[in-house]
Amino acid sequence: MAQITDKTRDEVKEVVLDFFAEECEIEIDEISEDSNIISDLDGDSLMFLELIEIFKKKYNLNIELKTIGKYAVKNPVQTIGELIDMQLLIIEHENNILDI
Amino acid sequence: MKNKTAFIFPAFITEFTRNEIEFLDKNSVDFNDYLHRASVALNIDLPEFSYNTDVYRNDELNSQLLAYLLSCAFSDILQNKGIVPELIAGYSMGIYASLYAAQSITIEDGAKLIFSAYNLVNDITGTGIYGMGAIIGLSTEDVENLIKNNAPDVEIININNEHSLVIAGKKKDVVIVLKKAKEEGAFSTAELTVDTPYHSKYLLKYSDSFQKYINTISIKSAKIPIISTYDQREFTKLSEIKSEFIFNLTGKINWNKTMQKLIENNVSEIYECGAGKDLKKISRFIDGDYKMKSIY
Repeated sequence: MAQITDKTRDEVKEVVLDFFAEECEIEIDEISEDSNIISDLDGDSLMFLELIEIFKKKYNLNIELKTIGKYAVKNPVQTIGELIDMQLLIIEHENNILDI
Repeated sequence: MKNKTAFIFPAFITEFTRNEIEFLDKNSVDFNDYLHRASVALNIDLPEFSYNTDVYRNDELNSQLLAYLLSCAFSDILQNKGIVPELIAGYSMGIYASLYAAQSITIEDGAKLIFSAYNLVNDITGTGIYGMGAIIGLSTEDVENLIKNNAPDVEIININNEHSLVIAGKKKDVVIVLKKAKEEGAFSTAELTVDTPYHSKYLLKYSDSFQKYINTISIKSAKIPIISTYDQREFTKLSEIKSEFIFNLTGKINWNKTMQKLIENNVSEIYECGAGKDLKKISRFIDGDYKMKSIY
């Protein structure tokens, strides 16, 4: 199980904000942790998947997408802040995320 | 080797960017002319377009015609600006705008082909028996297994990319597969708002009648090569175009492989010629050294 530090959270937040700023063609300071992914940023599930792939590579994670899918059904995210928290849980627990 | 430009054409409009009308206005295009030409050719009345017009939102045929005509208009704008594609591909019903862009058919004949295909399959459209669905987040193998174990008559009729595919069949079976897909860990599933199981075995029986209708339409060889979404071959000849119409209606397509074929052919700039940004969205997970160019 990976240790989540303040540095990890900052890294994850930076990646998430950069990603949405580029995808949505807006400035990073237009996105906050309260931004709604769908209504404010026009996000979709393929963007979510792409972001997960980025984190899988960055942190060399051992987790199947469908495991994350099962977790996301029970724990849906709506805001950027919730998305960051979910990514941290994925990094921390990988394939055991369904056990938490 | 020289980098190439491609145009790709969507099939339906799932969501407008709401920049479409501004783009037409900015380029001094009166879209009513396109609607009028199709209306006269089909002897119907296509009203003025606005984003909220119910006649386009709630009617499968009208929404297909609108998607086609907007695609034609956008292709005209780009080509008039000197952006001419070296390759073309059309996603599903996007084939008609593809052939218009390749100067193989007129706007009127494309509209007639859409109208004819729609009316041909009318005995199954609107019955409420058939449907289509989209699954995001499972592999093709996962979905094949779900179909095999739960509703074997359902077919995967298109692979958009590594993580997104489309199924078709009887609506009740499609709903079962979508439900099972969600339980299996799909990120999202959705019933599509169409009553026709396009690209499935249920449309095979219409091949001969559609072929007969195609033979009544004046079609020319394509001036720009088109990549088949059915088997990814490049075609321009009249006989190939006629066959492609049939494959495109009744056969399974593979958008992922079609995009890969464009990229293998050194396409580095791809313009999505149509309303919305659906093709840009599904281009995620299609790797390669290319750029999806925004037209507005």
